Amino acid sequence: MDWKRTREPADAWHMTDDLHVEHGKGDPFAAAIRATRMSMIITDPRRPDNPIVFANDAFLRLTGYERHEVLGKNCRFLQGPKTDKEAVGQIRTAIEDKADVSVDILNYRKDGSTFWNALYISPVSNDKGEVQFFFASQLDVSDRKRSEHRITADKDRFEKAVKERTAELEAALEAQTTLLHEVDHRVKNNLQMISSLIIMQRRTIKDEATRHSLTTMLERIEALSTVHRRLYQSKDVSRFDVSDFAKDLVTDLLTASGRSGIKPKLELDPIVISAEKATPVALMVNELVTNALKHAFKEGPDGTTAGRIGIKMSQPDGHFNIEVSDDGVGMAEANGDASFGMRLIKSLARQLHADIEWRDAGPGTKVVISMPNEPQQEGLSHD
Amino acid sequence: MTEPLKVLIVEDEALLAMELESLVEEAGHSVVGWATSSAEARSMVESTDADIAFVDIHLTDGPTGVDVAHYIGEKKRSMVVFMTANPKRIPDHFAGAIGVIAKPYTMNGLTSALRYLQEGVRRPPPVSTRPAGFTLSPAFEAVWAPAA
Repeated sequence: MDWKRTREPADAWHMTDDLHVEHGKGDPFAAAIRATRMSMIITDPRRPDNPIVFANDAFLRLTGYERHEVLGKNCRFLQGPKTDKEAVGQIRTAIEDKADVSVDILNYRKDGSTFWNALYISPVSNDKGEVQFFFASQLDVSDRKRSEHRITADKDRFEKAVKERTAELEAALEAQTTLLHEVDHRVKNNLQMISSLIIMQRRTIKDEATRHSLTTMLERIEALSTVHRRLYQSKDVSRFDVSDFAKDLVTDLLTASGRSGIKPKLELDPIVISAEKATPVALMVNELVTNALKHAFKEGPDGTTAGRIGIKMSQPDGHFNIEVSDDGVGMAEANGDASFGMRLIKSLARQLHADIEWRDAGPGTKVVISMPNEPQQEGLSHD
Repeated sequence: MTEPLKVLIVEDEALLAMELESLVEEAGHSVVGWATSSAEARSMVESTDADIAFVDIHLTDGPTGVDVAHYIGEKKRSMVVFMTANPKRIPDHFAGAIGVIAKPYTMNGLTSALRYLQEGVRRPPPVSTRPAGFTLSPAFEAVWAPAA
């Protein structure tokens, strides 16, 4: 609701004089006020309670009253129970201050029906600045108000619907996440059981070749376990940090081998891959490292073996590269006993759409794997 | 030679408890009890004298592992290490436990953890590197700050 003051230039006040017209029936200005479609009244603040002293036909049509019912009364009869007290206060203040006021107010007709009145009141003063009358015009803006209310109601309804939907989705997401963790917990426990079964079985077996077979199996399963321990631990459950995983894997394999003379050299950029790539990558790195441990290093004259196993992970240009290298005997001298392991490596490379190359590193061997990888996301946290 | 540890196992899966017992014994320590529920765990804490308790979160009477850890902490009888597939269920303060070994752990992961724990329990702080898959609670992180 507005409350504005207007100030007209001084010569505007004298326009009527310039026309030199009569008062009475021939007065064009009075005729205009009487006949206009705009509802208008005039009140006299010098009489008690500022009563209406003139009301045009449009006012009577708008409010439903007869002329004799409104003359002499203060226009507060237009107010009713639902009229906003603040709007009434604005009018009262303006009249006391003898200022213009423009306000939307809810008014009541004679028949009790309501309408929104865009009311404009301005004081009429003489040349001495004394207020003689108040002029008020009224405009029925019920349609506009209805539209405004409808828009606000729609907006509120919409916001409430959005809030409810958001709460539903959040609850569904939480339920899904809980379920995911539940299933994941089962899988992890089951992987632990598979490892346990193999270790238990191996303890009962005396034959070296069979024990060796079981150990190879255990290593592969522990590679899977290491993946799963880290899977779904980061905020984004669909992604997996390979560098942390590679550190764990190499540490486990080297320590389990008991060959303290072989040292790891790790150059691991923090790289994230999609969860579905984690398992094949893990199995492949496990095969390559265990291969190197088995075949690359020859025992020295003092019975110990020394050497280095290197793992490098980098991501040049939309690719994810893994290099597993050793400084041992080199490919020519290596044992050809790699048939199942080699098949596994090559199949896994196909699954990952990876190129794989064995290179002579003189001394030793370097295996280079390159696969396409998605760009990294910012601000990933894990553990 | 540091004195071996006396271990209480609180784990609902029999297979995993069996294997854990074997690994603990192979590493030179002894297992003084095995509980599958929080109620069993509470009575075992009274009747046995363990240095550390390996406690799974999910037991036969629900996810009561954290309660067990609280109980043991109050009794001050032994130190607790959580052993769980669901480390996210552990509260931030770890209910007073040393830390957590995440499942599935590898053989090497567990034997390294046993060595680390033996050092930490008998003659803190431990000197070995913190093993892979082992996370310390904030309280113990401050006291046993890793050697490497």
